[in-house]
Amino acid sequence: MSFVPALHAEWIKIRTLRPLLGALAAVLVATAAFSALAAADTGDADPLFSVFFGVNFGQIAAIAFGTTAVASEFRGGALRLTLSAVPDRGRWFAAKTTAIALPALAVGLLTGFVTLLVGRAVLGASAPGWAEGVRGAVGCGLHLTLMTLFAAGLAAVLRSAVATLSVLIPFLLIVSFVVGDLSGGAADFLPDRAGQVALHSTWDGTLGPWSGLAVTALWTASALVAGGWSVRRRDA
Amino acid sequence: MTSIDVRDLTKDHGGRRAVDHLTFRVRPGRVTGFLGPNGAGKSTTLRLVLGLDRPTAGTATIGGHPYPRLGEPLRRVGALLDAGAAHGSRTARDHLLALAASNRIPARRVDTVLEETGLAPVARRRVRTYSLGMRQRLGIAAALLGDPEVVLLDEPANGLDPEGIVWIRTLLRRLAAEGRTVLVSSHLMGETAAFADHLLILGRGRLLADTPVREFIHARVRPHVRVRTTDPAALADLLARHGHDASRDEDGTWTVRHARVDDLGRLMSEAGVPVLELSAHEATLEEAYLDLTAAEAEFTAQPQGA
Repeated sequence: MSFVPALHAEWIKIRTLRPLLGALAAVLVATAAFSALAAADTGDADPLFSVFFGVNFGQIAAIAFGTTAVASEFRGGALRLTLSAVPDRGRWFAAKTTAIALPALAVGLLTGFVTLLVGRAVLGASAPGWAEGVRGAVGCGLHLTLMTLFAAGLAAVLRSAVATLSVLIPFLLIVSFVVGDLSGGAADFLPDRAGQVALHSTWDGTLGPWSGLAVTALWTASALVAGGWSVRRRDA
Repeated sequence: MTSIDVRDLTKDHGGRRAVDHLTFRVRPGRVTGFLGPNGAGKSTTLRLVLGLDRPTAGTATIGGHPYPRLGEPLRRVGALLDAGAAHGSRTARDHLLALAASNRIPARRVDTVLEETGLAPVARRRVRTYSLGMRQRLGIAAALLGDPEVVLLDEPANGLDPEGIVWIRTLLRRLAAEGRTVLVSSHLMGETAAFADHLLILGRGRLLADTPVREFIHARVRPHVRVRTTDPAALADLLARHGHDASRDEDGTWTVRHARVDDLGRLMSEAGVPVLELSAHEATLEEAYLDLTAAEAEFTAQPQGA
């Protein structure tokens, strides 16, 4: 049995669940809207990050998407039906992850470029340049995709949307707004802080835009490996 | 043809033995009823057969292969395990389309099974709006999706209305007549007796019986005759003279064991004993089952008080 039919099935499941489509739309709307609000009220903040500030809100919608897409399998015996159709659990989890990653990346990149255009319109003369802006837009797309998959992996370990979101949302809010602003060093290596370096014009930590995204990618890979391991090992 | 073969299958759930050295074969062309009280291990056995749970020991194969080895398994085996498996926010049709895509089953099969299970008119409604009976029908539609030669249904009659129960009975009979292997778990005796040819009975994870339904009933429960009369003394005397094993219930009805209505009717007529009621009592699966499981039931009521 090949990978493509399993991927096709998982894609149908995502496209036919309205809450998931809503979460994807919210990624775009929340990022662009909160960025525009922040940009309108900017002082001497980092020019690029005043364009992409809304990612802090958009990534909450992104983790809601990743969490819900996986956690919907862990209710009412849905996973048993799914695995009776695709008994190779590794293949199934790879298909599920791909079906989450592709729309997340598409929406993430779209969000990045829409946010960039909106931000430049709001900021006018003080807007960041195009080269820096495009780096930010691509970084925004990658960061949102990685956060989505981080949540998806965690949801496969915890097997519950409520459990996953009650770990991730306080984590993002507290780390982003409290711990993240206070300390450099270790906090820079947390998944959402590391990825967001790509959304800044300047950075003073050890991580640059791409190395920051690589660190977030490591977090995401670990969550997915743990999720895949849990799916393979446990009784459905 | 495709049989289900279970050999020495054992499953422990955290120190508790859910399935205990089960060995049986489910053959094609007949409906096999899978009976047992709650917690006897029926659902666990079905999950083990489908490769969803890992056995502690033993094997389960379908047509000689472990389930996970079947390529595109929905085309070989259809199963209903949980009526709640379909997501409430999805339509029945989308639910089945995703399932069909995973095994490259053509989309027209989706419409066929929706038609077959009577869900076609509501196929584009969200599953959240369905009654339990409709969800059950959707689960059965999913099981039939790949036109499988083996069908496993866990408590399919749950939540069905009387019309639905007649429908599932007819469906099961037809699937068996088409030569498919049909295994249906249930705790409803009357229902199981109505559709099953063969029985597997579980108690506390162990196999208590593997036998044709008729033989099982006849071996366990003797038929008897119910008699009511206005002259109990004359009846008692008559039965005693002819050596019948009889007893009188509290409501005045007599139960005569190992007797036939034809014989008793003639005797009472000749002796002039008035008859208010004379009826043959057919042994039921329920009686046979209770006889078997009386000692085995896991949740036998404990006597109250000191």
